[in-house]
Amino acid sequence: MMLSEESVKAIKERAGRYPHRKSAILPALTIACRQLGYVDETVYREISKIIRIPMVEVAEAATFYTMFPKAPRGKYLIQVCHNISCALLGADSLIGYLEQKLGITKGETTPDDLFTLISVECLGSCATAPMMQINEDYYENLTRQKVDDILQDLRSKA
Amino acid sequence: MFYSPVRTNASEAEKNEKLHLFKYVEDPQQKNVETFESRNGYSAWKKVLSSMSAEQVIEEVKSSGLRGRGGAGFPTGLKWSFVPKDSPKARYLCCNADESEPGTCKDRVIMERDPHAIIEGMAIASYAIGCHLMFIYIRGEFGECIRSMERAAQEARDRGHLGKNIYGSGYDLDIIVHSGGGAYICGEERALLNSLEGERGMSRIRPPFPAIEGLYACPTIVNNVESLATVPHIINRGASWYSSMGTEKSSGTKVFSLSGHVNNPGNYEVELGFSLKKLIFDPAYGGGMKDGKQLKGVIPGGASTPFLTPDMIDVNLDYESLASVGSMLGSGAVIVFNEDTCIVWTILKLIHFFRHESCGKCTPCREGTGWLEQVVRRIEMGQGEQGDIEKIEDVCGNIFGRTICPLGDAAVMPIQSAIKHWRDEWQYHIDHGSCKVKSEFSFQ
Amino acid sequence: MQGKVGVFVSIGIVMAEQVKKEQAVSGVPMVTATIDGREVTVPKGTTVLEAAREMGIHIPTFCWHPKLKSVGACRMCYVEIERMPKLQVSCATEVMEGMVIQTASEQVLQGRKAVIEFILLNHPLDCPTCDKGGECDLQNHTFAHAVDDSRYSFKKARYTDGTDGTTFDDKRLGPEIVLNRNRCILCYKCVRANKEAFGEYDLGVYERGNIAEINSAPGHEVDNPFSGNLVEICPVGALTNSDWRYKIRVWLTQTTSSICNMTSSGSNILFYKEKNHNKIYRVTSRMNDSIDDGWLPDVSRYGYQIATTEERLKTPLIKKDGKQVEATWDEAMTVIHNRFTEIAEKKGKVCLGGLASPYLDNDSLHSFNKLFRTVFKSNNIDFRSDYRMLPEGADSPYEMLVDQPFTIADIDDSDLIISFGSDLIREHPNEYLRMRKAYNFKRAKVVSINPYAVKSADIAELEVIHSIGRAETVLNGICLAAMEMGLVNNQDLTGKIAPATTAEAASDAGVTEDDLKEVARAISSAKKISFICGEMVSRSIARDTIASALWNLYLLFGFKDKGQMAILPRYANSRGAGSLGLLPSPSDGLRNTLSGLWGCFPESDPNNTDAMLALMRKEEISGFFIIGANPLMLYPDRQFVTDGLERLDFLVACDLFETDTTELADVVLPLSSWAEYDGDYVNLEGKVQHARQAIKPLYQSKPAYEIITMVAEKFGAPLFESIEACRKEVDELLSMTHSTKFPSQFLEVKPCYEDAEEEYPTPLLICDDPHHCGHRTEKSQSLSNFVSEAYIEMSPEKAEKLAVKDGESVRVESPVGKIVVPVRISDCIDNNVVLIPRNFASTQVTSLLMRKRRLDRVKITKVDE
Ligand SMILES: Cc1cc2nc3c(=O)[nH]c(=O)nc-3n(C[C@H](O)[C@H](O)[C@H](O)COP(=O)(O)O)c2cc1C
Ligand code: SF4
Ligand code: FES
Repeated sequence: MMLSEESVKAIKERAGRYPHRKSAILPALTIACRQLGYVDETVYREISKIIRIPMVEVAEAATFYTMFPKAPRGKYLIQVCHNISCALLGADSLIGYLEQKLGITKGETTPDDLFTLISVECLGSCATAPMMQINEDYYENLTRQKVDDILQDLRSKA
Repeated sequence: MFYSPVRTNASEAEKNEKLHLFKYVEDPQQKNVETFESRNGYSAWKKVLSSMSAEQVIEEVKSSGLRGRGGAGFPTGLKWSFVPKDSPKARYLCCNADESEPGTCKDRVIMERDPHAIIEGMAIASYAIGCHLMFIYIRGEFGECIRSMERAAQEARDRGHLGKNIYGSGYDLDIIVHSGGGAYICGEERALLNSLEGERGMSRIRPPFPAIEGLYACPTIVNNVESLATVPHIINRGASWYSSMGTEKSSGTKVFSLSGHVNNPGNYEVELGFSLKKLIFDPAYGGGMKDGKQLKGVIPGGASTPFLTPDMIDVNLDYESLASVGSMLGSGAVIVFNEDTCIVWTILKLIHFFRHESCGKCTPCREGTGWLEQVVRRIEMGQGEQGDIEKIEDVCGNIFGRTICPLGDAAVMPIQSAIKHWRDEWQYHIDHGSCKVKSEFSFQ
Repeated sequence: MQGKVGVFVSIGIVMAEQVKKEQAVSGVPMVTATIDGREVTVPKGTTVLEAAREMGIHIPTFCWHPKLKSVGACRMCYVEIERMPKLQVSCATEVMEGMVIQTASEQVLQGRKAVIEFILLNHPLDCPTCDKGGECDLQNHTFAHAVDDSRYSFKKARYTDGTDGTTFDDKRLGPEIVLNRNRCILCYKCVRANKEAFGEYDLGVYERGNIAEINSAPGHEVDNPFSGNLVEICPVGALTNSDWRYKIRVWLTQTTSSICNMTSSGSNILFYKEKNHNKIYRVTSRMNDSIDDGWLPDVSRYGYQIATTEERLKTPLIKKDGKQVEATWDEAMTVIHNRFTEIAEKKGKVCLGGLASPYLDNDSLHSFNKLFRTVFKSNNIDFRSDYRMLPEGADSPYEMLVDQPFTIADIDDSDLIISFGSDLIREHPNEYLRMRKAYNFKRAKVVSINPYAVKSADIAELEVIHSIGRAETVLNGICLAAMEMGLVNNQDLTGKIAPATTAEAASDAGVTEDDLKEVARAISSAKKISFICGEMVSRSIARDTIASALWNLYLLFGFKDKGQMAILPRYANSRGAGSLGLLPSPSDGLRNTLSGLWGCFPESDPNNTDAMLALMRKEEISGFFIIGANPLMLYPDRQFVTDGLERLDFLVACDLFETDTTELADVVLPLSSWAEYDGDYVNLEGKVQHARQAIKPLYQSKPAYEIITMVAEKFGAPLFESIEACRKEVDELLSMTHSTKFPSQFLEVKPCYEDAEEEYPTPLLICDDPHHCGHRTEKSQSLSNFVSEAYIEMSPEKAEKLAVKDGESVRVESPVGKIVVPVRISDCIDNNVVLIPRNFASTQVTSLLMRKRRLDRVKITKVDE
């Protein structure tokens, strides 16, 4: 089993809430991603067993949504919004800045497996642009100084 | 506790009795149930359960003139009345908290800072349609909102606002906080229902309408966060109070998310009919253009609404006025851009988004958005060919009105208006292989 | 004809068809609309597309399928409707009163052209090498709409094999299916049909938007028993199957309407043969709403390869000095005549017997019957070679229930469907699909009552899994529950059945009392029931006891007025064989008709398969004629059969290829397959269907009818003046007013349990693999590509207990035999039961069985390498 006992328990608990078990697919994938950072065939199979839904349904859903990486990523997944409101306030140059600071290009992971940098669509933070999401947290109204501090902070925590 | 640092006009609400949605959103205590209760919270829910019939609730909301704040502006009370009275099936209410329309960040504030207002509104709506299990579908990226709503839901259960036999009325109601997985299309109500069922978030054909056959093939109502958060106030203060605000056909207040090249981006609750110009330029709101640049254009209702040019911004923010200038109120996301913004670049951002978010079910949207993105990209890269503009217009025409859900329309309307308003700029791009303005925006 | 076009009958159209039926009961209102200037009146609920089709107006589609729910995805079926500014998709728009619809206006044509343009953007246009060419919806619609140019100037998106980026995508999804994603137009029909119609989950759609793709379930093959349909419904060449791929262009073939020889419902099929050549290339469905709904199980689709296999017997063989050597038909006939005559003279009494296959057509079966009764004067004749210890007499409770009327299409609008003692997918795939359809479209309630968790129960609202060998107790329990709950008035049953209370019955049968009560409640509240019983009843020696219990249920709940109940026959012409009297002792009515037709009927003792085998062992039957059957492989207790056949003086066996049985024969005759001659077959409903000759008999083979009449002629007793004369007799027999029999009162049902011996703890059931049927299908290359050897199917728990993994071999021993087979672990089996398919000659599974046992029990041990 790749999923921990705790995850399995959480998934079962979620599945029990819904009138139909199938509704637990997204919550299950979310729980799996929280534990593993990504999902794959083995995880689909485990989820399908836990919530008793054909495995293909889990795989179909998992690949439809963007929040379930299909391969391991760095410890911190940096997602920069590149959509219009953020772009008007410099999202593209923010990405460039991060690339330069991290020494990688968009889509890559730092050699120490600490950071993965990607750009994503609007994250609903338009009036506090530019912004990025790192794992589950939002960082808004970004400036160069803030970005420096955030990276520093995460590095020191790692 | 972590909040979005987004600016609001909550302070204005202290002086302005009309503003109700944002009244307490700057108070960190507001999210706690005790504080919420002490400010008259859940009184509307109590009133409904103790003294109103479902029909009366629907009637009240109908006559308030409240229209859906999720984008389409459909009258809320009327929608509720479509749920069959005699269906033996369960009924469901889904609060649409998928907030993914670029430019929109209003529901998030309410979820983070005033979650009980949503739960109370959802409860009242549930009662109106006879629902005993309600859902709030929150976009998965909104970690803080999810936590906030989960916490509020538990508080509401603990305090007896939800659960079995609420306030001794015999009415049972519970809530499930459901998080999405990252897909704009799941804000579209039929895709949302599929997603909630554990399916891929693809839209469904209509009929059957969700009010007849929605979630788990049962009658279902989908309403936006803001629409539902408004409901308790209507119940408390009465339909006529609500309809006295705003304009005749667009009553009440609405939150506008202002973003882009303005000095004070933020969320502002204003009466419908408020001046767009004022919203952008008044120091109490947008505070004018950033860095003193010239205004080039405005997207008034979120990324899927047609653009306005500077000479059109003397318009009021209500459903009819915006329609009269060929645009839409949408979700109330006002995106402002200045003279340094290349229109082709802007459209490329948008069409890339819609291509990425197309669910892929219906042919025109799936294939058309991909094609459009390629042509627009080619023009933006300076490789545009003569005839590309006409080709884009034609492809847009083949998508518009021909898809299952409105995402197809949403994808092409901004393009159509951008070509209409700035055709020469497109042509310049093609003729010169480059642009007069560079859209190079750096951040501080 | 001008004016109103009344639309009541709706061929191939689910909605209209269902609405029509509903309307018959409840008077659904009709609506009138105008399509292309003509008025049409249809039942409310009919879609614009269906209504137009009724009028002969063809609206092009990609994603619509008459048997699936509309999804409105492809947008090809646009129509223009007055007062609606936008184009509407006709497949998902219901006809409303007064609608004025244009199906070919300028706007409509423009809209469709745009859709084709969109679809073609990334389509490879590799029609010259595409097997769908000539029958491709995309090709046809493009042609029809004269889309001859693309405005798309970008490089087409390509799936590649990964290497140089130029090769096209060719992904094997399963044993028979290849996927080319570049050609796929994302109509989702395959995935929808797979899940919705077949209940299979080995295919899916992944990613989204314009990078969405169809693919098999991660780590799985697409190998479900209905998978061939996916290829057939694919509107383009994205899915192709191995038997047809790169073999021939469709326009070089010619089709023959026929029916399938594998299922007892008789799926309607089309054979495709090369014009001017005697070779079949494939089979597709010939949609018949009353039988197959246009879906073919893979056995029906790929079963034709038993005819085209190289392994066919090519000439007659005669045993000389212990070896079978090639011979001419003349020589073979002479030997048969001489040896049979010799034996008869030597014994001086009736000592010849015959066994025919229920796969054979009416003419063959009838002539075989006539040969035996009139020429050999023998009542030693049967067609049932796989049911042990059958009871005698056409009036046994079992035989009466086999003979009950049953209508496949009535499953559609049953609100309760019960499958009892039947692994439906393996036995009656078409009826299984009907059940799903009723569940999908009508939310019919499905109940499964079986000794293990059959796969078809995935849609069951109630699944009752009882201890094996306790079927009658479950039925008694349901009756008791109904009486105890006061759901029925009649109490006459009390005292006739044991045990006496629901509680006891539940505990005896290993089920819960609630289960029994719930079934009783479901039956008593249903308006229309289809109660399907299958092989687990027929194969059991307790079949009469179980049938009696079924009859009690039938009478108690008044099924006569609210549904159908039958034990469904298993083979293509089982029902025909029974109706034609190919039994040792046919019913009195049949016997009278037959003797009227022939002027005689033998008086000798009637002996069925089991009795004949016993007589062979006593050397009282010394000459035997087998046509199409393979008792050695199918009859429970292989040793018993071997002993009998080896004791014979003379055995004639006819088959398509060498079998265990033909190996023992003194004369072997090559039989033609059903594709090689014209023949009629009676399906499980009693409906006579005609299978047309697709190709001429291969090699020197002959149709059974010809062989039988040749034998008769050799004996100087021609059976018929012509085949027409034979058909006239058959018609007369089949048109005999068939008064369905019911027991007039409740029957006594005392359960007969058989205790387990400690040494052999595991109940074994013999079944057909879902891709196979009987002894012939392993010769089909495609079908054996799915499964080509026997296995023992068991639950994960059982496997764990035995410490075996999937694919590892186990030794299976019974008191009479032992075999070694690989393990297949499956979630669809439990309750300690194990299954072994009987379709593979290499595993002699019948050697484990005992013919007088109700339950076969075995000991399973891991084989240590
Ligand atoms: C592509 C698309 C995205 C949408 N996204 C949202 C959304 O994020 N939030 C929302 O409330 N409504 C969204 N809607 C509108 C919903 O479909 C629906 O109309 C709304 O939730 C109804 O609620 P209301 O009547 O309260 O506005 C979207 C619609 C479309 C077509
Ligand atoms: S318009 Fe786009 S998003 Fe909506 S159903 Fe069609 S493909 Fe999906
Ligand atoms: S056939 Fe109607 S949309 Fe595909």
